[in-house]
Amino acid sequence: MKCEEFEAFGLDAQRDTSLGEAERAAAAEHAGTCSRCAALQDSWQSARVELRAFAEDTVAAQTPARVEMRLRQEFRSQHRTHRWRLAAVATAWALAAAAVLAGAVSWNTWLKTRREETARHLRAPQSGNNGPVNGTKPLAAGSQGLGAADDESDASLVANNELNDFTLLPGVLPAETDDLAILRVRMQRGELGALGLPVNEERAAEWIQVDLLVGNDGLPQAVRLPQENENP
Amino acid sequence: MGIAEQERDDVLLRRAAKGDEDAFTFLYGRHQAAMYRFALRMTGNAWAAEEVVQDVFMILMRDPKKYDPARGALAAFLYGIARNRVMKHLERLPREVPLQEKHDDGSGPGIILQDTATPSSWLEGRERAEQVRAAIMDLPPEFRETVILCELEELSYEEAALMAGCPIGTIRSRLHRGRALLLAKLEMLRDFPRRASVAR
Repeated sequence: MKCEEFEAFGLDAQRDTSLGEAERAAAAEHAGTCSRCAALQDSWQSARVELRAFAEDTVAAQTPARVEMRLRQEFRSQHRTHRWRLAAVATAWALAAAAVLAGAVSWNTWLKTRREETARHLRAPQSGNNGPVNGTKPLAAGSQGLGAADDESDASLVANNELNDFTLLPGVLPAETDDLAILRVRMQRGELGALGLPVNEERAAEWIQVDLLVGNDGLPQAVRLPQENENP
Repeated sequence: MGIAEQERDDVLLRRAAKGDEDAFTFLYGRHQAAMYRFALRMTGNAWAAEEVVQDVFMILMRDPKKYDPARGALAAFLYGIARNRVMKHLERLPREVPLQEKHDDGSGPGIILQDTATPSSWLEGRERAEQVRAAIMDLPPEFRETVILCELEELSYEEAALMAGCPIGTIRSRLHRGRALLLAKLEMLRDFPRRASVAR
């Protein structure tokens, strides 16, 4: 081992665990043969003793207690704030969830009510259809809440969706049936002539029941005669 | 048997992060002295060392997730923070002018040496310790840090490399140069009183 190598890592060879046995032995051998390096090692050993003494003088040094107090104070305030923040976030989420739940419940209720109303409306005309008596005044309310049909007009909105047997009035083009309504009216046979239909003059004064298919413009589109007065 | 599971640093830190003040205090008590000693020996100033320790634990408290147990021991992590703080302190040191050099009782704000020997040996020991302190403080920060870690804290080269965040070869070379400078400085300080008495 050369003097430079001894200075670099041989001086503390016994402590340096990264050195191998051979290197340690070489360092010890060099210190035994080289007086300069041996003196350097002695000098360093005495310096180490002084360093140790200095280290022991300061080994009991402790951070002043005020630092711990300050840190604990900071810890408390930080975690109190953190807890408040967590509580606020949890409350906000709970409120949001409650609002969504309330909205869902009320929407569901509204939907259910609407369905029931629709079902009721659908049931009502059907039951009215069961009991119409031919030759009488209008019997039941209309299908789309138009039950306020005028009694004095001798008309009734019939919830019978069968559009068979209707005869288009002259000059009327077939239209979409979605917006049409069927009206059962009682009229004199002769009034059919006003709708453009041929009328037997001998029976013109006879009262009959007629189903009129009325468009959303309020004008009749087609006509159907019940079985009993099939021949106008 | 090592430290019990519930007293392991990472476990305590997790508890502290959840607001357990006792766990934080326990961690502080375990590591504060080493941090303070290191900062005190590096800066030679008790106020600065106090500030460094406070900063280190403040960072740990505010952002405990910065520490990853997979990357090493908590002590090494704390040393890393303390080291950065000390270096920052040393960087701005030339611009700082202390307002009060001494306390009311005459003691300085730096390292307070503890010795219970007789007055004469106490005086001699204190004088010598003061020389050692001055010699250490005269070293460039990197060499000073290595000397403090290896010679005063008595860490192994591997541990010192881990703390300083550098390869073991760097520690060895810094220690080599630090020792040479320290020896020269101690020699000079030792001879100075002798030369002064001969001149008289």
